[in-house]
Amino acid sequence: MTGISDILGFNFVVIGPTLTLLATALILLFVTITISTPTFVKKYVTLFGILSTVFAVFLKFGLFLSDGVSSYFSEKILLDEFALVGNVLVVLVLLFNFNSFWNTSSQIDNKTTEALILILMSASGFLLMVDSENFIMLFIGLEIGSISLYALAGLNRGDQLSNEASLKYFLLGSLASCILIYGIALVYVSLSISGVYETSIAISFIGPENVPLTSLIGLIFIIVGLLFKVAAAPFQAWAPDVYQGSPTGYVGYMASVAKVSSFIVLARLSAVSLTFIIEKFNLFFTAVIILSVLLGALFATNQSDLKRLIAYSGVIQSGFILSGISFGVYGISASIFYLTTYIIQLIGIFTIFSIISGQLSSNFAISNLSGLFKENKFLTITFSIFMLGIAGLPLTSGFVSKFILITNLWSYEKYLLVTVLMLSTVAGFYFYLKPIWVAAVEKTDNTIEKIKIQNSDKLLITTLAFLTIYLGLLPNTLVNISRWMVENYL
Amino acid sequence: MTGIILALLLVPLFSALLVFSIPNTRKELFRPIGIVFSLITFTQSMYILFSDYSKSDFQILFRFEWIQVYGLEINLGISGMSTLLLLLSSLLVLLSLLSIGKDHSESKGFIGSILTLHFAINGVFISGDLISLFIFFEALLIPMYFLMGIWGGDNRRYATIKFILYTVFGSIFIFIGTVYTAVISYGVNARLAVDFETLSNLQISASQSKTLFLLFTFGFLIKVPIFPLHTWLPDAHVEAPTAGSILLAGILLKVGAYGILRVSIPFFTEGFLEYKNLVAVLSVIGIIYGAIVAIAQIDIKKLIAYSSISHMGYVMLGISAGEFLSIEGAIIQMINHGITAGALFMLVGFIYERRHTRNISSFGGVKISMPRYAAIFLFTSFASIGLPGLNGFVGEFMILMGSYSSYKVLTSIAAFGVVLAAIYMLWTYQRVFTGPLSNEENKNLQDLNLRETVSIFPLVLLMLFIGIYPSYIESFVIQEAGNLSETISLFRSTK
Repeated sequence: MTGISDILGFNFVVIGPTLTLLATALILLFVTITISTPTFVKKYVTLFGILSTVFAVFLKFGLFLSDGVSSYFSEKILLDEFALVGNVLVVLVLLFNFNSFWNTSSQIDNKTTEALILILMSASGFLLMVDSENFIMLFIGLEIGSISLYALAGLNRGDQLSNEASLKYFLLGSLASCILIYGIALVYVSLSISGVYETSIAISFIGPENVPLTSLIGLIFIIVGLLFKVAAAPFQAWAPDVYQGSPTGYVGYMASVAKVSSFIVLARLSAVSLTFIIEKFNLFFTAVIILSVLLGALFATNQSDLKRLIAYSGVIQSGFILSGISFGVYGISASIFYLTTYIIQLIGIFTIFSIISGQLSSNFAISNLSGLFKENKFLTITFSIFMLGIAGLPLTSGFVSKFILITNLWSYEKYLLVTVLMLSTVAGFYFYLKPIWVAAVEKTDNTIEKIKIQNSDKLLITTLAFLTIYLGLLPNTLVNISRWMVENYL
Repeated sequence: MTGIILALLLVPLFSALLVFSIPNTRKELFRPIGIVFSLITFTQSMYILFSDYSKSDFQILFRFEWIQVYGLEINLGISGMSTLLLLLSSLLVLLSLLSIGKDHSESKGFIGSILTLHFAINGVFISGDLISLFIFFEALLIPMYFLMGIWGGDNRRYATIKFILYTVFGSIFIFIGTVYTAVISYGVNARLAVDFETLSNLQISASQSKTLFLLFTFGFLIKVPIFPLHTWLPDAHVEAPTAGSILLAGILLKVGAYGILRVSIPFFTEGFLEYKNLVAVLSVIGIIYGAIVAIAQIDIKKLIAYSSISHMGYVMLGISAGEFLSIEGAIIQMINHGITAGALFMLVGFIYERRHTRNISSFGGVKISMPRYAAIFLFTSFASIGLPGLNGFVGEFMILMGSYSSYKVLTSIAAFGVVLAAIYMLWTYQRVFTGPLSNEENKNLQDLNLRETVSIFPLVLLMLFIGIYPSYIESFVIQEAGNLSETISLFRSTK
């Protein structure tokens, strides 16, 4: 017997992770406003919520195995490989960052619950975003996610930089959202569709050469809206200020979750919607990649604030990841590999920053690292591993990801891009080694304050550093997974 | 044999981890552990030396599927040239661990870095494909960065960053070359196969061969270093600690020449034939330029650094001539330069530990207070100049003889390098060791103690041994040099 719900495709397993996170947020909200709860209860409720989300993602895998790629909720929600990998990555980002955002939130008086709710809400939004088939759902997911992030950036009200970061992020973020929704509108006006698969069907129907200019501009606007979230140049202006101003304990989460979900959506757009007309976007993508890599490298060389340096390095990495997404299906798989390894290193770096400088701090000058080696060898070594990983030194995952990405680009004969990307890697060795020099090599009489590391933090950092090395030595599994993702789109 | 090959990687790595895991309270353990483990590696290299593989061409003995979907493999193998270089590197690591003074021997990071360096060096010499070669080539940088950065001289920041950026800039070209080769290989083999066996059967067009030769050789030449890409070397040597200098001059410079012999020439021979004249001219400029600049130096370490540029110029001249004798000479010269330059840097380190200066002008008459040291220094200087009967002569003579048929003028000019070498080495000896003891501080210098004598003695012995019985070391490289020169003459005749 098929009811109306089956025809419409109601299936709560598909949005299970989103619902679980929302439920957790609501439980937290109700519990804290009705009875006075001790902090540890909040902590375990949050943790339980996140672990249930992990379980919900597993359920989605089961559904995918039985149903394959299919859409639900009258073609609003999509279950495909991108959605699954996106879910896994977002949940992993949440899980890996739990320690630092918990520690940060518990330090903000009276706002602990708000912070937790904001984080859970944003994650649920980004989960919705990677699940979305319809562009409007994409927009809704993105907004739920981003608005929580704007608030998170300014949560430390006493700090002027934090307020500035929040305001800048909000204003520029809203502008990007405007562009995104304008793009969706343009596509709808010209093609009367607003879905990922619908776009590709419509384009193949009218023929790639007959695609109206309005819909091309609309698609570019959608892409620009997403590129803003990943801080690719020339849409990168917010990133350094927001990274610098926001509470350090949150930046790792803020940076990684937005990047993961936006890149997954971009990858799906490139693999599905734009597959017939991707050549038309080559010039645009090439320009964005070259600009990101050059601007990022140029500005990163003379930063004295580490968070800004990592922000500009993020601009470079966005260029790298984009260079895979825009060239071929194998490139997309290489990009997903790159994205995963980069996220691991990024979270590791920001966890270390928040341990050293305190979770609520905003500025983090390179000189703060001076004397770190004497105080704490564990942090210095893992920090060096993460930095060398981002720089792309062999024996770390950064090298493997760069290698497969560049190989793909070379097979497309994009020699200019290869040259620019490689030059930025050389420049990268200059500014990634600088913090290592200050932390580990330079002789100094500076002593930094006694650093206390919790065991959970130590476990987390060890895991991330281990993954960085492991994926550099034996990358086979992750490459297979990223290849599995795109196999249906060949 | 596969086990031995793997152990060449794992033993140094394990020993480095062991040193890092020992608490700082047991400082005295660091050096013995390092010495014991590098002795094990040395024994392994000796074992390979007496096996069948030590006289053969490169043979892949170990395969490991690295990334399945791309068909990327990690291949490890061994050849005659690799065996000699492995032996040299484990000997120099062993002796440099033995030679370092108290301030370094009790430092965990220092010993650990040297052992990590040993791991990466062994990796370079046994890697059987372009990917693993590149991985180990780059991995060399990490321990060198810390060795130079933490234990270097006053200007170490500048020198370290210069060293790293030069090398990374060069290795980017090797990286792009690797990618290019892999993509070409994908078109033929349907997988990114870049192991040396596949590459030797890979058909590539003349223009591809030229591009790839340029990409790889440029990267390797920075490491050699050849004029005008040499400027990082003097800075690096002056600022590096003694053990770092020994390994830098003794082994790291050989990595560049090794890469050219292993990759650039056999696989991209057409490119080699196109550009070999350019390389030859640059290397002869390097020979003369390095020697002349060495004469003008006032710092002994910088002087030896410039002499290294000059000596590595001979290696590159021999390689670019492409004759059987000259290639053989080039490989032997690589080994010889590793021995003599290593010994010279060690000797400079000894006196630097005593006087904390390396200025030639602050010495004079040291022979009176340190007679044994003076004798060994003179012996090593003669070996470096290339006195017949010592090792330096063998390689240089073979190179000059082999190159003469290809480059008559260039070889004649290069021969003057030997004369210039005599000037800078003997003049230095004269200023440092002979004459009256004018400086008060030099009067109470202690002569070499037992540890120092033991650490320099094997090198002195080797100089003499190779000098009077060169055909023993030659027997290991005949096969490889023969194959290389055959490949070159085959391409030359088809051209």
